This record gives sequence, C-alpha cells and structure tokens, in this order.
Amino acid sequence: MTRRRRPGRAFTGPGASAATTARQLVRGMAGGLLLGMPPLFTMEMWFQGFLMAPLKIVVLIVFTFLIVIGYGAFCGFRRERTWPDLIIDCVQTMGLAALVAAFALWLIGRIGPGTGLLEAMGKIGLQMIPISLGISLAGAQLADPEDQGDEAADLGTEFSTPEFGAFGRLFVAAGAALFLSLNVAPTEETLFLAVGGSWWLMVLVVAASLLMSYAIVFYADFRGGRRRTRRDTLLDYPLTETVVAYGVSLLVSALLVWSFGRTAGTPPYTIVAQIVVLGVVAAFGAAAGRLLLGSGGAGGGNGKP
Amino acid sequence: MESRNRLEWIVLAASLVAIAAVLGVLVWEGFGDHGRPPLPTVALHRARAYATAAGWVLPATATNKGDRSAQAVTFIATARVRGREEEATVTVDYLPAGSDVEVAFGFSAEPDGEVRVRIAGFLP
Repeated sequence: MTRRRRPGRAFTGPGASAATTARQLVRGMAGGLLLGMPPLFTMEMWFQGFLMAPLKIVVLIVFTFLIVIGYGAFCGFRRERTWPDLIIDCVQTMGLAALVAAFALWLIGRIGPGTGLLEAMGKIGLQMIPISLGISLAGAQLADPEDQGDEAADLGTEFSTPEFGAFGRLFVAAGAALFLSLNVAPTEETLFLAVGGSWWLMVLVVAASLLMSYAIVFYADFRGGRRRTRRDTLLDYPLTETVVAYGVSLLVSALLVWSFGRTAGTPPYTIVAQIVVLGVVAAFGAAAGRLLLGSGGAGGGNGKP
Repeated sequence: MESRNRLEWIVLAASLVAIAAVLGVLVWEGFGDHGRPPLPTVALHRARAYATAAGWVLPATATNKGDRSAQAVTFIATARVRGREEEATVTVDYLPAGSDVEVAFGFSAEPDGEVRVRIAGFLP
C-alpha cells in the first residue's frame, strides 16, 4: 500500500507524492496564519522588530526551534523516523514560517522597498515565531485523521514511554505558553499592571494562576483533561505537573520580558511583577496546550482513561 | 531508500535560504558595529511640491543612515515665504535604521528661496 503522511509531522518526508506535500503545505500555512494572525495585527510587534536587539530575536527563534523539535519528537517520533528526518521537518517548518511571515507582512504593507534590511528581518523573525508554532500544530493536531492512514491506529503504543510523556507535555506547555504570552508581551499593559500592582496582589495572582491551571487540566473535565494519570514518574502527579508547568510558564514569561527590553533600568520588583503578570497568560497557554495534547490527535493515549 | 519528491526539495531549499537570510542579518547586525547612533536625514522633493487651498506642500523622505532606530524624530524646515521666515514641523514616530519614511512639510505659500531642514530632537 502507499505510505501516506506520518502523524506529527508538518511535512511528508520520503515516499510522499507532490500532491500530498502540496496539501500539507497549504495546511501548514493556514495553521501558521491561524496562530500568527493576532501578532501580525499588533502594532508593537512591528515596532519591536526594529527596536529590539537583533540577538534577542535570534534567541527567541532558537527557543522556538527547540520547542518545535521537542513537539515534533513527542508527537511523531517513530521507529522508522530518524533524527535527521525530524530536523529536516523542523527546518522546513521554520523556513515556511519565515516565508509566510514575509509574504503576510508585505501584504499588509509593513515591509516594502523602503524598508531597511534589519527592520525587515527583525519583523519577519518575530512574526515567524507564532506562525511556526501554528505550522507544527497543523501538522500534529489539526490534520485530518484520514490523512494519517492506518498509522493513527497504533499511535498509543508508540509513545508509551512515560518519562517522555511527562517531559513532552512540558515542551507542549512551553510552546503554548510562548504562543499565548507573545500576544500580550510586546504591549505596554504588562508593564502598566506590574507597576500598579502591590506585592500581596502579585502573590494572589501567583496563587490564582496555579489554581486555574490545576483546575483546567485536572478538575474541570475539559476534553483532554486528566482525572487519573499513570503516575509512573514524579512529573505525572497533578500537583507536581501543575507546579513544574507553572515554572515553565514563568521561564517563558521571563524570556519575553527580557527580550522585549523590559528589564534594563528596571527595579527588581517591577521585573518580577512583570514576569508574574505575563505568567498568568503563559500559565493559561500551558494548561490549554496540555489539554490539546490529551484530547486526541497525535500524542494522546498517555493518561486519558 | 525512498526519495523525497521535488516539491519537498524546493520547500527545503527555500526554507534554508529564508532561515539563513533572517538569522544571518540578525546575527550580523547583532554582533556588528553599533558605533553609529541614529543619523536621521531628510531629502526634499521640490519637484513634487504642490499647492493646496491651505498652503504649499513639500514632500520629503526621512531616512535613518545610522545603525540604531530612533523614535519621535522631529524635523523643522525653515524657509523665507513672502519675505518672512516660516517654520514647518514634522514628527516621525518611528524611524528604523536604514529605512525610509515619507513625510511632507507645509508652508503658507511657495518659499522664495531654499528650504533648510534641521533635527529638533528624537528618542534614541
């Protein structure tokens, strides 16, 4: 029989027809733009493209690339799929994201003949981050199960290593946290809220973030939520997973606060407060991402009873 | 060993070029010499000037020839109009390094002689 698309990859790899590749390209672009649209229409994202230190954008892109690799590995790693295969897939994801970002920015008139090289690449570099996350999401989660052929059937057994499951969930949590907080991070509001909030409000915000992300994943009975988990590793326990996922959210939040230049010349309290405030958004993203992972598609079957 | 189809190769090649372009420019600029502060300049386009009911409009292109972006760049154009000194002020919110922004200065009528432009200030 003809080999069709392997689950969890944005691109087809060896053995697929050009027609299949074309369909997956279009799906990737659509998925990329779906997540990339809000930042694309955010003024601060355009301005940060040339106001930010260029190397900070590089750091964000490399961080995103690692998440895309981790997500790809978690969702679609199979015996016949080699690391070079996976890396090529992720390079294509990032490259397509850059091309889609460039084209979209040109269409909305944000880059053109009068645009400086650094300005153009800075804008493209920032916008390709959410777009690349959208492309890998489209490859792993949004694909029509039909397209995965009969390979989808044996998915559950393929990723049964529990250590990898818990670790992989954190990758997805980081990716979703990055995506959601990137929508908010470049705007003034996080700084405004951080400066305005007193310390006990910040403590309450931390408590609320933890409580909400615990409730979303383990209590509220969302599709993809988990009541009983396998509890094979320390990270499989709801309490530890919630705390560690919140830690990942705060890390992502800190990375963005630093990237968007909100740490220079800022008192330590205001920096921490910004991280906590942006962490609310990141924690919601991390929780939603872990739900998505549990709700079927690739990568499921790891705890849903 | 199965081979990838041609479209896959094209996507891969285009991806590598796109990533190399984005990262190349950002890393090169990042490690490059940032000794040059913002250098806002203005090129006046007198040949494209035109009269309106509310005055005379002089199109111009603001360019930042420095390595760093500038915000709130304010240019003041001065000229002698009907024997009196006149000032026209334009503020560019964001002037990225190496980029052009189209602006226009306004005077009550066509100036008699040369139009001079100076920077009034900006946020580096």
